[in-house]
Amino acid sequence: MPARNQKQWMADPNLQRGEWVDSRIYSDPEIFEEELEKIFKKTWIPVCHESELSEPYDFRTTTIAREPVIVARGPDNTVRAFLNVCPHRGMMIERRPAGSFLEGQPSGNPKRMTCMFHAWQFDMKGNCVYISREKEGYQDRLCKENTGLRRLRCEVAMGGFVWVCLDDKPECSLEEWAGKPFDCIRESIDAEPLEVFHYHKAIINTNYKLWHDTNSEFYHDFMHYHNRVTGFNDEYFARKNIGFEHGHVNVTSFEVNYDEYEGFESREELSFPKFPPNQWFMIDLFPGMNFNLRGSALRCDIMTPLGPNKVMIEFRGLGVKADTPEERQTRIEHHNSIWGPFGRNLHEDLIGVTGQGATMNDGSEPRRILHGRHEDNYIHDEVGLRHYYDEWGKWMDRLPSDPMQKYTAPAVAAE
Amino acid sequence: MSANGNGAVEAVKDTIYRSCLLLDEEKWSDWLDLCDDGFQYSIKAWSPEINYDMTYFSADHKHLSTMTEQLPKHNTDHSPLKRHSTVYTVDVDKDGKTATAITSLVVYQNMLDGETSHLDSGENHLFLVGKYMDKLKIENGQAKFLEREVRLETRRLDKGSHWPI
Ligand code: FES
Ligand SMILES: [Fe+2]
Repeated sequence: MPARNQKQWMADPNLQRGEWVDSRIYSDPEIFEEELEKIFKKTWIPVCHESELSEPYDFRTTTIAREPVIVARGPDNTVRAFLNVCPHRGMMIERRPAGSFLEGQPSGNPKRMTCMFHAWQFDMKGNCVYISREKEGYQDRLCKENTGLRRLRCEVAMGGFVWVCLDDKPECSLEEWAGKPFDCIRESIDAEPLEVFHYHKAIINTNYKLWHDTNSEFYHDFMHYHNRVTGFNDEYFARKNIGFEHGHVNVTSFEVNYDEYEGFESREELSFPKFPPNQWFMIDLFPGMNFNLRGSALRCDIMTPLGPNKVMIEFRGLGVKADTPEERQTRIEHHNSIWGPFGRNLHEDLIGVTGQGATMNDGSEPRRILHGRHEDNYIHDEVGLRHYYDEWGKWMDRLPSDPMQKYTAPAVAAE
Repeated sequence: MSANGNGAVEAVKDTIYRSCLLLDEEKWSDWLDLCDDGFQYSIKAWSPEINYDMTYFSADHKHLSTMTEQLPKHNTDHSPLKRHSTVYTVDVDKDGKTATAITSLVVYQNMLDGETSHLDSGENHLFLVGKYMDKLKIENGQAKFLEREVRLETRRLDKGSHWPI
């Protein structure tokens, strides 16, 4: 077809509903706010890995849907999560990204979370254990027994990730939520304790779902020289996308030919425990996390949506805690070669999604974003995206292809 | 310091500053000519978030040269990186044959693509902050890199970071 006029350009594509989405789901501020309320405050979010708080009294801070969250390991070794908000007058209790409460702070004692403002102190279970001049100010009206922190649902699971849900009554348990899609790598990541060796972040102007889309489709191999030379063969095209309940997707494995890329080596000798050599499994979790086990290293992307057109992606790389220094170094090199900030692929992915973000601003014309490739669920089929957006539609009660309409099931089953 | 020592210090500074100019101009193989065959390069950063001394990239001379040769096959953000560096210290070893140097480094991204090049081209963004921790050998009054560790403070890296720093 030659280039199209406005009417042709805006017409629905010759695809079934469910095979495209409307770009307003990536740019509309009202939809974005609703996503935080209806999805991010209701679902299980992995916030960090337990190795980031390996000792009692270690903590890590984060945010979910703009709410500040603190995760701390108690003297009983249990990891707990709380809102990082002081019940007195709402100051953020801990401001550092990570650290230990073993040492005292200028306003407080060792082994306590202390709000520096008026020195209220809390133990690792979130109990308020000290209110400065309690009796003098509150007499018998308010006491520390009634001013504990807000505790949050928190679990350590799936390879030692720390999962938090802001909702006290989540739709289902973490196991019911994420267990099945993790089955493909669970034996390997739960065989022995893991450790995070890589962390960096990117904050880019694009919608969080566009990053998730890129993690969920392999058609963009055409953008990655590395993937084309190490991947494209019959076995590669035999990889399948498998949809799971709750909008999650797996991409099944194949054997990567790393030696096809000049300067790269096979990862045969250092697989994850119980993981066959040079295999590569991928888990895309609704609403925006990705776990990627490529032979010797595990990568995890956690997305924090910051606005309709702004997202922070935190990138982690993990190895086995018991690694020798040499093994660790090898895993790090494998991880970095493609996924590191100075590696071959990550940068191309960031350019791709930023380019999408740049064409989808609030007020841009609503465009059709096509998710209509069918290849029997094989690697370049866009079924993973269709599966995700059907779930998104249900949570939001909006139709992804026309988000101002209420959700109805797509003409083509999401598979 | 002896005149000899001074000469060595100048040679070290000269090599470091020349390397910055060559890297700015993306003349990778000319840069590698300033490096010994046994050259080891790494980019590292301490992460308080995960309490870990991270290696973001590491390569030897051969790996760097294959990698830089393959760059044109990869997609790229076209905004060049421009370095500002100041050699803080040069310590020449007793025998005068090797030296270590610490260079303060700031890298700006000179936007060409940006997000929308119509708006962004021509603008500069602070891209990263760090130090070069170099080890050099000195021969016939010339200094060559034996090792370079780029020690980053920056742990937020958006698009544009696939080149040697
Ligand atoms: S705001 Fe925390 S003690 Fe007052
Ligand atoms: Fe990619």
